[in-house]
Amino acid sequence: MEEKILEFGRLLRKGGLNISFSQIADALRATAEVGFQLEDFYHALACTMICEKADKPLFDKMFRLFFLTLPASQYDRVNGEGQLVSTENTGHIIELARSAEGIGQGRGGGASPALLLVKAVQDGNYSLLNQLAQLAFKSLGNPKREDLANLEQLIVQAKVSIGWYEAVNRLERIREKEKVNEITYSRWLECLNYLEDRIKELLEEYFVITFGQDALEEIASAANIREKEFYQLNNIEIDEIRKRITKLARKLASKYARRYRRAKHGEIDMRRTVRNALKTGGTPVCLRYRKKKLSKPEIVLLCDVSGSVAVFSEFMLQLVYTIQNRFRSVRSFLFVDRIEEVTNYFHNEDIEAALQEAFSKAYFSYSGFSDFGKVFTIFATKYLNSISPKSTLIILGDARNNWRSDERDFLKQISENVRKVLWFNPQPQSTWDTEDSIMKVYAPYCRQVFECRNLAQLEEVIEAIL
Amino acid sequence: MFGSVEELQKKLAACDYLTDRHVATIVYLALKLQKPLLVEGPAGVGKTELAKVLAQATNSRLIRLQCYEGLDEAKALYEWNYQKQLLRLHVAQTQSKDWEEAKQDIFTPEFLLRRPLLEALSSEEPVVLLIDEVDKSDEEFESFLLEILSDYQVTIPELGTVRSNHIPVVVLTSNSSREFGDALKRRCIHLYLDYPTFERELDIIHLKVPGIKDCLAQQIVSFVQVLRKQRLKKAPSIAETIDWARSIMTLGSKVIDEEIVQGTLSILLKYQSDIDKVYNKVSSLLPEK
Repeated sequence: MEEKILEFGRLLRKGGLNISFSQIADALRATAEVGFQLEDFYHALACTMICEKADKPLFDKMFRLFFLTLPASQYDRVNGEGQLVSTENTGHIIELARSAEGIGQGRGGGASPALLLVKAVQDGNYSLLNQLAQLAFKSLGNPKREDLANLEQLIVQAKVSIGWYEAVNRLERIREKEKVNEITYSRWLECLNYLEDRIKELLEEYFVITFGQDALEEIASAANIREKEFYQLNNIEIDEIRKRITKLARKLASKYARRYRRAKHGEIDMRRTVRNALKTGGTPVCLRYRKKKLSKPEIVLLCDVSGSVAVFSEFMLQLVYTIQNRFRSVRSFLFVDRIEEVTNYFHNEDIEAALQEAFSKAYFSYSGFSDFGKVFTIFATKYLNSISPKSTLIILGDARNNWRSDERDFLKQISENVRKVLWFNPQPQSTWDTEDSIMKVYAPYCRQVFECRNLAQLEEVIEAIL
Repeated sequence: MFGSVEELQKKLAACDYLTDRHVATIVYLALKLQKPLLVEGPAGVGKTELAKVLAQATNSRLIRLQCYEGLDEAKALYEWNYQKQLLRLHVAQTQSKDWEEAKQDIFTPEFLLRRPLLEALSSEEPVVLLIDEVDKSDEEFESFLLEILSDYQVTIPELGTVRSNHIPVVVLTSNSSREFGDALKRRCIHLYLDYPTFERELDIIHLKVPGIKDCLAQQIVSFVQVLRKQRLKKAPSIAETIDWARSIMTLGSKVIDEEIVQGTLSILLKYQSDIDKVYNKVSSLLPEK
């Protein structure tokens, strides 16, 4: 068992949890204390290994897969469970699902699962939801090992096969028509989340059972939210990242405060030291120091909010405004193919509300496709005059210009009128300058161009502006 | 101290503190492994109470250190009683002792002001040391605390090292208003206390508000539980549920309806913005009959 716990610790590290050796040692002692009855065993590991509440979901998942699923790595068991469902189930659902599978879409043929789903959600019938999850999972057949990399896609496929989107649509209509109250609606959402989680669980279990340890490790690394690309995040993960950004911001704020405190004084101030030495007959008993100035940069953020970049821009805005007091001033602009200043929305304390307001009210999109050239033109002519030459200008964007004119001269003009231009690109570096990405056209006018695809990189990049 | 998790759970229940088994398991482990217990969770779920009850259940003295911004060693560990020392010197002057002798006199335990940490370490009897709201203290204090919690001893330059006779049971509580360093986190056993489940909260209401009708208690608890799921600045805590149940009892209502809830909402919600948010939605949040 000890070996297993060590192995488990290693797996959690792979998933992005910071687990020290002493924690593992504690876990070993704790489990020895309470024994191996499942529930106690779980809590013994949890209370020694989880440092933050945010890590709990990952821990739970890994615990389930590692201690419950992995030991049962016989392929038969899955089939066994599947059969169990089909005997319990009324046969026609399976039939319909099969036909849906045949069509490949499921929307046309699988009307009945959708209706069943609506009913299950309305009744809060979890055993039916469970069966639907099994059904959805079975519709995928036997995914191959490589498919694990596209787990999200598999889930979408599975959802389609039971008419998920149709059901959600119906539920929304029912909600409107029958004026469903908040409690019931939130119960519905719980049901839907449960179903989705369940499908994911089934899939993960399948992979672990079929492909063993190896697949488990891949699942662990995929769950590492810090390394996950921004554009791959689902809603739950976006919430999670938001929380982590708030934390990161707090950490940054206090970190700099501490460093500043420790090295409070700068160089020796000769003038004041000599002046003071007069009191002691010319011997400089007390040295006087210059006060160290905490540099407070002025920040101007230009945020691309088109498509997949929007999430990243949102994170960045959230982060910067949370540590606002670290900057002398922050001005922010949103753009797609038009640009507008949104600084004023953030005078409101609540960043989340401000973000929503800014995104819904500002005029930043004309055609819906990014046009950096146009944006730089507008910015240079309309706003540049009011931007302090000492400020750091940060551009968040993928530099995908949709084959429009790049107007690089305007970016040049901008870069000459500020202290420095930094560019944060949320796309992988390997895709820069492919297709319509023109990063290399703009790069010469930027002091630095960073790749910023995930939380880990965001953490590094933020240091560059502090 | 306790032979098993069940025993601990029963002892806590005997002190009017109802817990789930997993909470008891974690507390039990902290006691067994002799590690500090770091209790986190939203305000008003009974974090501080847990420490108090633990002291009661283990028949030990509770020593409480309330943290606040600017708390330092002098307030937490020990301090020399400067005024008393001065007086002593005045007296000594009249007897014309030399400095060495006088020094021997004034740096003795008699002039030492014991603050909670030193008190807990030097106590003869077993103690429960509650370090409340650690997140309010400064980072320097945190690292200082770390030293004490790792070897349970402290050195006073003039007196020597004080080592604890019994390793005290240490409970730290936090509302996570600040992030702790990793080092502190690793030293502790973690307990996350969340709002109780429906059944647990119902039990608590019955325990703390004797004489309440079961159907009213159920309504109250289910309303509060729904309320906690709303996006609020501060969700109602257990203490607030109890207060609310008491006030509804006082009003003499048999059931809760929109009017009563709206009238007493300020007992549950402490922010005006929260009250405004909920006020008009009350009827849709009430449990169905």
